Amino acid sequence: MLEGEAPVNAAQSEQLSAEELAGGWRLACQCSVEGDLVIELRQWDAAILADETPFAFEPRTGWGVAVDVGTTTIVAQLLDLQSGCVLAVRTALNSQGRYGADVMSRVEFALSPGGLEELQHLIRRQIGALVRQLLLAARAPGQEVRDIVLVGNTVMHHLFSGTDVEPLSHYPFVPSRAGLEVFSAKKLGWELPGNVSVRFLPCLGGFVGSDILAGLLATRMGESEDLIALIDLGTNGEIVLGNRERILCASTAAGPAFEGARISMGMRASAGAISQVAVEDGRLECHVLGNIEAKGICGSGLVDAAAAGLDLGIISLSGRFADARNEWALWPPVKLTQGDVRELQLAKAAIASGLHLLRERWGGSEPVRLYLAGAFGNYVNRSSANRIGLLHYPPERVQPAGNTALLGAKLALFRLDGEDGSYQDLRRRVEHVSLSADPRFQDAFVQELSFAESAHVYQESEVEAALRRQMAG
Amino acid sequence: MSTLEELKEAIINGDAPAAKRLTGKGLGEGIKPAAFFPEAIIPAMDEVGRRMRECEFFIPEVLIAARAARGATDILRPLLVGDPTQRPAGTVVCGTVKGDLHDIGKNIVAMMLESAGFRIVDLGADVAPEKIVEAVRREQANFVALSALLTTTMVNMKAAIEALASAGLREKVRVLVGGAPVTQAWAHSIGADGYGKDAVAAVELARQLVARA
Repeated sequence: MLEGEAPVNAAQSEQLSAEELAGGWRLACQCSVEGDLVIELRQWDAAILADETPFAFEPRTGWGVAVDVGTTTIVAQLLDLQSGCVLAVRTALNSQGRYGADVMSRVEFALSPGGLEELQHLIRRQIGALVRQLLLAARAPGQEVRDIVLVGNTVMHHLFSGTDVEPLSHYPFVPSRAGLEVFSAKKLGWELPGNVSVRFLPCLGGFVGSDILAGLLATRMGESEDLIALIDLGTNGEIVLGNRERILCASTAAGPAFEGARISMGMRASAGAISQVAVEDGRLECHVLGNIEAKGICGSGLVDAAAAGLDLGIISLSGRFADARNEWALWPPVKLTQGDVRELQLAKAAIASGLHLLRERWGGSEPVRLYLAGAFGNYVNRSSANRIGLLHYPPERVQPAGNTALLGAKLALFRLDGEDGSYQDLRRRVEHVSLSADPRFQDAFVQELSFAESAHVYQESEVEAALRRQMAG
Repeated sequence: MSTLEELKEAIINGDAPAAKRLTGKGLGEGIKPAAFFPEAIIPAMDEVGRRMRECEFFIPEVLIAARAARGATDILRPLLVGDPTQRPAGTVVCGTVKGDLHDIGKNIVAMMLESAGFRIVDLGADVAPEKIVEAVRREQANFVALSALLTTTMVNMKAAIEALASAGLREKVRVLVGGAPVTQAWAHSIGADGYGKDAVAAVELARQLVARA
């Protein structure tokens, strides 16, 4: 509360400290407002990326729902298939989150007694509830939905379908059943009017699931004459490189640094996070989300900070703080430690070496355009990503593509009259590459750990010489 | 600076050609092959380990330093064959457990142990328990060092220890475990003899166990 009066009642003095009350904090649900107020909303959670991209479609009759089932977040949209209008949107944190933040910990939990059933129950119940909420939001609780299309990574696909995840717990990470899964809403226990068919679109291989298949639909990679790349920068980084001839895909464990996890003052992109860092006249300028005092730093801020550190000579090309300090006071009270820079190096090297290996597989051709999927990819500064060697491409070739999983799921929804959702033709052209099984991956990874621009030239002796020079200097 | 001091510097800086050249130069000056280890190679790798702990060195710097050390040891080892005073500190069978392909951490540990005077039998990654048993028997190993980077493959450390037990080899070897998800408590629960939180700790642990034996 910035201006005006909002009296404190008993419930508020119970929930809030005297200090908070004095600082203007109120519980909105407990306030009776009798005059003008100027308030600021506290944003507790990170914004979840939905999709409002216009798209071409063939009208169908009825309504449909597209759902992006992410490991962390879920986004569902209700669409009028005749007009293509988005009638309602609902987002939520994946309720399986309490059993682990990343796919491997979900797999581990699913392998414990009763684990798979519990995770399956949670996700089915949550998505069923989201669909009902969409209908309520569109003020049409009795309206029949024709089709529901779900997309997600292979682990989400298996956990929703109740498929054994044991093969995903170890090398060679081959899914047990990667295909299209079709259910009736009734069988899922969803109380919806009419006969609704629910499709979880098929996976591409390994951990690369239908969220990336949807990304291919959204970027039209399968029809593209030019070689293009689609990169989803998450804890599990997915990389696809291809054109209408041939498509290669891979996943690489980038770790959670881009989401601000395992960074000493890291946080998600919510209020109080430093989201942008720039150097102006030799001084740092930080942008803090929500225009409040900085509390931490999120992934996009971290990438910017490393780029700024390199520009200012605070971070050397090896990643070491140049004057042997152990931390860098970025923007009080937020600091970056040497360990934080190392975490970022691991994450960016996983992506850069993965893309490098796919390019080699392809025969060395360079992608004409790179699409970045997902929230982090949407907000990361492309010049900084280039500066730190996350993407060795000039910003003009890199394009944030938003939530391509959701967009692709919507496109699939409109095509259900002609294509049942199994995408056999497209999947036949996609080859999944197991990066970790490639002996060159680890060499490439180690070389990409450095911030040196030349790290992308893979002549071992040259890279060694460069590393030596850095250390000597 | 003496040749051995120069060699130590060359290893720390990861300069493999210089390390080889200086080893040859030292031999030409009449330095005994065995003297290179305590006076240059081991102190150099100890220094690399210290810098790694203090975040000054990261994976690339450690790997190229270890490669430079190997440049020197490759020249020296053949000269030490048959010298009874130069027996290795112990033989270590190492590998990343079945289902797991993460190699880098295990390689760093292997190189550090090698520089510290241990003989290394590296089985690589995705190593089945039977392979470990076979190598321990064949190589008369006294250490087994296991790495896992996934919470879902850690259980295969236990499988390896059990395989050693059923082959009747468990009492003959000390089992050391490590890797990002591994903890001291986990090591204890699966009956391992020791846990190293990083490569430096692994070397210290192996040295302690040798001293105690």
